[in-house]
Amino acid sequence: MLEIKNLHATVGGKSILKGLNLTVAAGEVHAIMGPNGSGKSTLASVIAGREGYEVTEGEVLYKGRNLLELEPEERACEGIFLAFQYPVEIPGVNNTYFLRAALNAQRKYRGEPELDSMQFLKLVREKLEILHISDDLMHRAVNEGFSGGEKKRNEIFQMAVLEPSLAILDETDSGLDIDALKLVAEGVNRQRGPERSMIVVTHYQRLLDYIVPDRVHVLSGGRIVASGGAELALKLEEQGYTWLEQGGIRPIAGASAASADRGATASS
Amino acid sequence: MSGLAEQWSEALASAPQGPAPGWLLQLRERAAAQFRSTGLPHRKVEAWKYTPIAALEGFRLAPARPASDPETQVPAPLCERSAVVDIRDGRLIEAPANLPHGVTVLPLSEGLDRFEERLRPLFEGVELGGATRAFAALNTALAEQGLVVHVGGGVAGGEAARLLLRWSFSAGAAAVMSHFRLFFLLDDGARLDLVEQFMSSWAGTGNIAGGLNVLCQAELGAGATLSHVRVQAESEQAVLLTSTTLEQARGSRYVYRGFDLGAGLARHELTTRLSGPGADADIAGAWVLDGRRHVDNHVCVEHLAPECSSEQFFRGVLGGRSRGVFNGRALIQAGADGSSVRQSNANLLLSPLAEMDTKPELEIYADEVEASHGATVGQLDETAVFYLRSRGLSDRAARRMLTMAFCRAVTDRVEGRGLAGRIAELVDAAMPTGEDV
Repeated sequence: MLEIKNLHATVGGKSILKGLNLTVAAGEVHAIMGPNGSGKSTLASVIAGREGYEVTEGEVLYKGRNLLELEPEERACEGIFLAFQYPVEIPGVNNTYFLRAALNAQRKYRGEPELDSMQFLKLVREKLEILHISDDLMHRAVNEGFSGGEKKRNEIFQMAVLEPSLAILDETDSGLDIDALKLVAEGVNRQRGPERSMIVVTHYQRLLDYIVPDRVHVLSGGRIVASGGAELALKLEEQGYTWLEQGGIRPIAGASAASADRGATASS
Repeated sequence: MSGLAEQWSEALASAPQGPAPGWLLQLRERAAAQFRSTGLPHRKVEAWKYTPIAALEGFRLAPARPASDPETQVPAPLCERSAVVDIRDGRLIEAPANLPHGVTVLPLSEGLDRFEERLRPLFEGVELGGATRAFAALNTALAEQGLVVHVGGGVAGGEAARLLLRWSFSAGAAAVMSHFRLFFLLDDGARLDLVEQFMSSWAGTGNIAGGLNVLCQAELGAGATLSHVRVQAESEQAVLLTSTTLEQARGSRYVYRGFDLGAGLARHELTTRLSGPGADADIAGAWVLDGRRHVDNHVCVEHLAPECSSEQFFRGVLGGRSRGVFNGRALIQAGADGSSVRQSNANLLLSPLAEMDTKPELEIYADEVEASHGATVGQLDETAVFYLRSRGLSDRAARRMLTMAFCRAVTDRVEGRGLAGRIAELVDAAMPTGEDV
């Protein structure tokens, strides 16, 4: 699904990603953890194609294709979805209208017939029901005046409607209380499937109690320095990121360690 | 004095005078003399600093042409209204029949016969001095064409009278500046729902040259309501200079929704005097400009009595090499305590060559006033653009969606879903294409 090789990226001239390798197979959920400033959100932005992030070396292959040459909207139409850490408020644009325009833009790109408003409404109702979201959100302007929890749920709802092949959840747990976190995680879990890969970017282990990943990677200094199963997250929680910064990376049960100059490659 | 002003001064001297009451003939003489002495406004005249009148070069000053081409297609009405008045090339085609009870619509000459004692102070109250008032002086000197609308105090619980003024230029209209006079007399408790459209080019007749200088005065009696929707989408060669002045008595309400989507040069001066306690002016508008269009809105609200409220809410979208000017003034005179004043103008520049000059002015001489004002000029939020693109919308579609949303703050304030929807379509169609910079 996704293959990242030796990725180097800069933001505003500052080097953030320094040789990142990552492979995510279809249907897998990978968690990317790491301290603040390690490059987690930069990785999410580079995959989604946000402006201002310059790739200086390496490649990103998505379904065997060079992802970096595609515009953000082309990436979306090819099945990539980024759930924003800070979903943007867009006053004056109705949520339903926006989402239908987005879905139809994607369908058009793929040569599928566009949905009329009745067909779209039917789809929305199905998805709302699956995610236990009230349709109240649909009548409001995109994210305008939404609580932190509502914004994150709206992201997950958009994901449900757009049905991406690769979803990147950027700090989806930030700003959520435990109840909201559970609801969002449940929404994400319902969308797991053999054809859908996910990259869950998070600072804290707690989200991974609810979204249990197939693989966990630790990002530090712009590289993946450790990879392992879900239990790696627990180890981090226990020992904290300082454990990494002290250069104390040791092979731990179920984790492959990073060599000093190459970064880790997660097997899948 | 500029060549154009000299030309026009000469034309003024030889303009034929139709029959009119003696005081009006004298007033016209005075206005003509005033124009000859001060000429046209220029850059050094503060109120015209940002609006050069070069677009007027080549325009002749002439009375409205006697016969309009009957073949000219009349633009479709913007909305259904019980009474439609057509004004083509600055000439009243006909006053409508089948008017609602209590509503009188007369050509200026007949209106003067019927309402002379009410119209005379309005005529004489127009300030004519100085280059700032050059177009008011010209209008006073030359306007033989006009319309007088009188609305009697409505039947209790009755609906507002609904009137559409459809301004147009005929195909092949010459570059002539026509002068037209409008009066709205609303008795105590009267209600008028007025829509004005300036949309010749939307009839598919191509780029039409034409010039209009319209002077409008309205008197709102106690508790009267005037709802005024104005949609201007003229061709790039058209010049529209319009001035609307209102006097609002106790408890009256004026609601303005103005949309400037076209014309080569358009300037609207809108002034309302809240002279009775509890009067309210709710003024909102938008301009969406492309190419080399120039639109200037000069709005002034004067609070003269206590407990009045007013809002000026304007939004602008500018692309290409277009230029917008907004001057919003609120003046709260001594004694106008308990006034509430809001003023806001936000603009989006979609092109590096577009320009917006905005100036909010708040002058307060009263105590206990609630006031806010602000003006911004900026670009689209790139984070929002990326958000929409990351969902599959093209860059162009994303920008358009955000720009339309910006304008909805005004289009949503138009009453009546049908009319609001139609205006939103026109706003959408007027959006800068980004191709002719």
